[in-house]
Amino acid sequence: MPKPADLLQGTLDLLILRTLAREPLHGWRISKRIQELSDDVLAVGQGSLYPALHRLEHQGWIVSEWKDSDQGRSAKFYELTREGRQQLERELQNWKRLSSAVGLLLKRA
Amino acid sequence: MTLSRLARIVRHRVTSLLQRSRLDEEVDRELRLHLDALVEEKIAEGLTPDAARLEARRALGNVTALREACRDQRRVNWCDDLRQDIRYGWRMLAATPMFTVVALVSLALGIGANAAVIGLMVSIDRDSLPAPDADRLVAIRSVSQDNPAGPRGVSAADYVAWKERSGTFDSIELSIAGPRDLGNEGDTAAERTTGQSVTAGYFRMLGVNPLLGRMFTDEEARAGARVVILSHGLWQRRYGGATDILNRSIPVDAGRSTVIGVMPAYGYRSPRVEFWTPMHVAPSATPAAGRLFGALARMKAGVTVEQAQRDLAAVSAQLALERPVVNAGWTVRVVPLREELFGWTRQPLLTIEAAVFLVLLMACANIAALLIARGTVRHREIAMRVVLGAGRARIVRQLLTESVLLSLAGGGLGLLVAWGTLRGVTAMRPPIGAPPIGASQVDFRILGLTAAFAIGTGILFGLAPAFAVSRFSPGMPHDTSGPMALPRRASAIRVALVTGQVSLALMLLVGFGLLTNSFLRLTQRDLNVDPAGLLMFEVRTAAPQKVVGQNRGVPYVEMLNTPSQTMSRIRERLESIPGAESVGGISFPPVDSLILPVMELRVERKSSDEDSAEPLRSAYFLVTPELFKTLGTPIVNGREITDADTASRPWVAIINEAAARQFWPGENPLGRHLVLDSGPEEQPREVVGIVRDIPTRHAQPEAQPVIYASYVQQPSRYRGPYGVMFGQMTFVVRHAGDPLSLVPAVRRAVAEIEPRPISSIISGEGARALRAERSRYNLVLLGVLAATGSLLAAVGVYGLLAYSVSLRTREIGIRKALGAGPHAVILFLGRHVILVVLTGIAIGWMGAIAYTRLLASQLWGITPTDPWTFGAVSLLLLVVALLSCIGPAKRAISVDPTIALRSE
Repeated sequence: MPKPADLLQGTLDLLILRTLAREPLHGWRISKRIQELSDDVLAVGQGSLYPALHRLEHQGWIVSEWKDSDQGRSAKFYELTREGRQQLERELQNWKRLSSAVGLLLKRA
Repeated sequence: MTLSRLARIVRHRVTSLLQRSRLDEEVDRELRLHLDALVEEKIAEGLTPDAARLEARRALGNVTALREACRDQRRVNWCDDLRQDIRYGWRMLAATPMFTVVALVSLALGIGANAAVIGLMVSIDRDSLPAPDADRLVAIRSVSQDNPAGPRGVSAADYVAWKERSGTFDSIELSIAGPRDLGNEGDTAAERTTGQSVTAGYFRMLGVNPLLGRMFTDEEARAGARVVILSHGLWQRRYGGATDILNRSIPVDAGRSTVIGVMPAYGYRSPRVEFWTPMHVAPSATPAAGRLFGALARMKAGVTVEQAQRDLAAVSAQLALERPVVNAGWTVRVVPLREELFGWTRQPLLTIEAAVFLVLLMACANIAALLIARGTVRHREIAMRVVLGAGRARIVRQLLTESVLLSLAGGGLGLLVAWGTLRGVTAMRPPIGAPPIGASQVDFRILGLTAAFAIGTGILFGLAPAFAVSRFSPGMPHDTSGPMALPRRASAIRVALVTGQVSLALMLLVGFGLLTNSFLRLTQRDLNVDPAGLLMFEVRTAAPQKVVGQNRGVPYVEMLNTPSQTMSRIRERLESIPGAESVGGISFPPVDSLILPVMELRVERKSSDEDSAEPLRSAYFLVTPELFKTLGTPIVNGREITDADTASRPWVAIINEAAARQFWPGENPLGRHLVLDSGPEEQPREVVGIVRDIPTRHAQPEAQPVIYASYVQQPSRYRGPYGVMFGQMTFVVRHAGDPLSLVPAVRRAVAEIEPRPISSIISGEGARALRAERSRYNLVLLGVLAATGSLLAAVGVYGLLAYSVSLRTREIGIRKALGAGPHAVILFLGRHVILVVLTGIAIGWMGAIAYTRLLASQLWGITPTDPWTFGAVSLLLLVVALLSCIGPAKRAISVDPTIALRSE
């Protein structure tokens, strides 16, 4: 199995927000979900997830709450706020513009 | 940003600050959960539990670093750092109490005094005057081109012309203040106070409305109506703030006047004025030369002071052509009211501010030096922190925090000093005419200034040492274990700072020395009056007069009765008081009289052709017999005026030595004649006596010519304003005991003849104390500053030497081991210090020459560059510097060579 590609700086925030858009999750589940959804191509560096979560929380895009997880242990669940959803929309637009521009550039080069 | 998101962010920040440990714990728990999940996953993949745990740890990475990274996201690190810095700084300051106390006291003095003085200057310059559009108010002065610094009054005729011909003023108003009488009212005794006559529009021009009642009307002024407006002070003091004061009839100046108004608490011009009466200047005013009036004016909106000045100067030029006798050589000056009221305070305040600023500079230098010294002592600790990974910026910040902490504390104390100083200034009886400074002046401006000073100095003296000590290479902490590896630059800065301190202290000391010197000279000045046992008081009597015509363009005035007879009777009655050894009288107080008549005269000299030279000018007093005997003034030559010199005998005069020198150079004036310019009835007076100089102004460097004539040998008609001489007499009584014990008897004696109460009662010693008090104010202030400055300089020198001894302990040890005795050691250290101190003194001399120029106007009988003062204070400073060397020198002598050599 090839080593999962490193995440582009800044795209991590986008991925987290997108993952949380469906349902509230805790840290471990978020990292697993990103890995699953990308068919194991993308792996979030185990450690770097948490500073990112804290950053988003401090920017007010997500909120956290301690709840019992499916394994029966108490875990910290993160949930998208209304502003976080809007932020996700903005970041998605940005991403699309950027990727299509890069794609266009690669095609022409 | 939406409000809910903002609220969320704020809540997070607050939680991060206040519940740090709980958040850290949560992060730990989260990471642990993640780790456990990883381990389970690895086990599920088939690893042994131990291998799984190892693998999971590696996948997760450095947990401590992760925790730090999470913490960093909270964006409040700087708060934590600051908190840590402050706690650390506080510990360091508390660990060296001596350093902290010296630093705090000097800062508090420097910052506080600066804030106070600058606050004063700013409030004098900026505070609004209690009148609407006060910027349009100006004072108008007539200025003689021969004597631009002379009196500033204006004449009625000029006023009329200005009103008619100028186009830049809304109104011009005249006033004249003087001693006036309030008569007996029931239980309230008669008193003499200051009243002011003003033209009808005076208060309207100022824009100040009466508190009660109304202003004067034009009709009242024109008709000379007996109406009066009271000051707030008089209303409170004499009438207990009675609400029914309006329309009351009160005795003013030998008549009764109706109260029509009361002014609010702060009056203009002179705070001594207690009531106002209306006066009228007719358009046909006689073109008298008497420039007796004060003139205030309100400029039209949009007119500048320069435009108004040009306008009036043009009118003055016309007048000089039209009426050359009275107006030639005179021009006019328009001065903003604020300048007129408070301009005189600028010079003394500037002097003080300069001194206070020097103290602040020294405080900063001292603290910088102390911080450098500490920095070099602490370099081991700092090097250690660098090795442990502290960034250079972080260390500089730590040191800066410390010094800002120090200066903020100093600033806080300084605020107290500033507040206390301003309270003190307010509490002290301010000089007449001082700006109204209330305690409320300790306001946000001063607060802001103090804070700016505190933080500014903190950064200023925090930066230099911070950079000096942070210039360590982390690779050398073990090499820097001894003082030999101290940075050279820090020690050079230190030497420069001490040199600067010494020179600043010298400047302060020179200023103080000059003022002290001048103060002592002035208070010990021989006035040629023996103050012990002398009682002085003023008697007034009616002296009605009538203008009977003109004489060379000046009103010609006839005395309607003969006050001299009243004065003679009072003198006889006073002589009969038991204990009165002798009694004399003089028309005005001989020293520092508010009114000082100056008379033109011609003198007779040996060769008759010299007689017709330019008219001479001299101060002129009327005196009774026995005046000089009573004053104790030595008669150099000739005799005193006696009772034999009656009106029908040949007229005589006594002159002082200055007059003898100036009017009859190289001649004996006795027997010569002089002719005063009092009018056609004047007779030549023979000089019968010469007395020692009594200076007419206490602070006058050279006595001016004075002529004394008998009060009975006088014409009945006078030209010009000299009639004012006759209605009053300052009597002097000599008594063997306490002169003030005679006061009740004197009061009774005068009351038998003259109903007006005596006033200005003072003993000779009292008058002397009063004169001394005036100059003591500045002296005490500058003395405190100079003492502080010298102390700071001494601390600086002490610090420098103590530091240099500790630096050279090994060197001293080697020298002693090689046989150097105590003398050699002291010489070796002393050379260095003496060089620094002498350099400081030399620089200080240059600074002092610049600084004392500010003082020149406040000095008496001494030049601002008096070599004795310069020499004495230099010596004093040198001695202080050497004294502060004793401690470190003793330590150096007692250095044990073996221990010193081993200490490295």
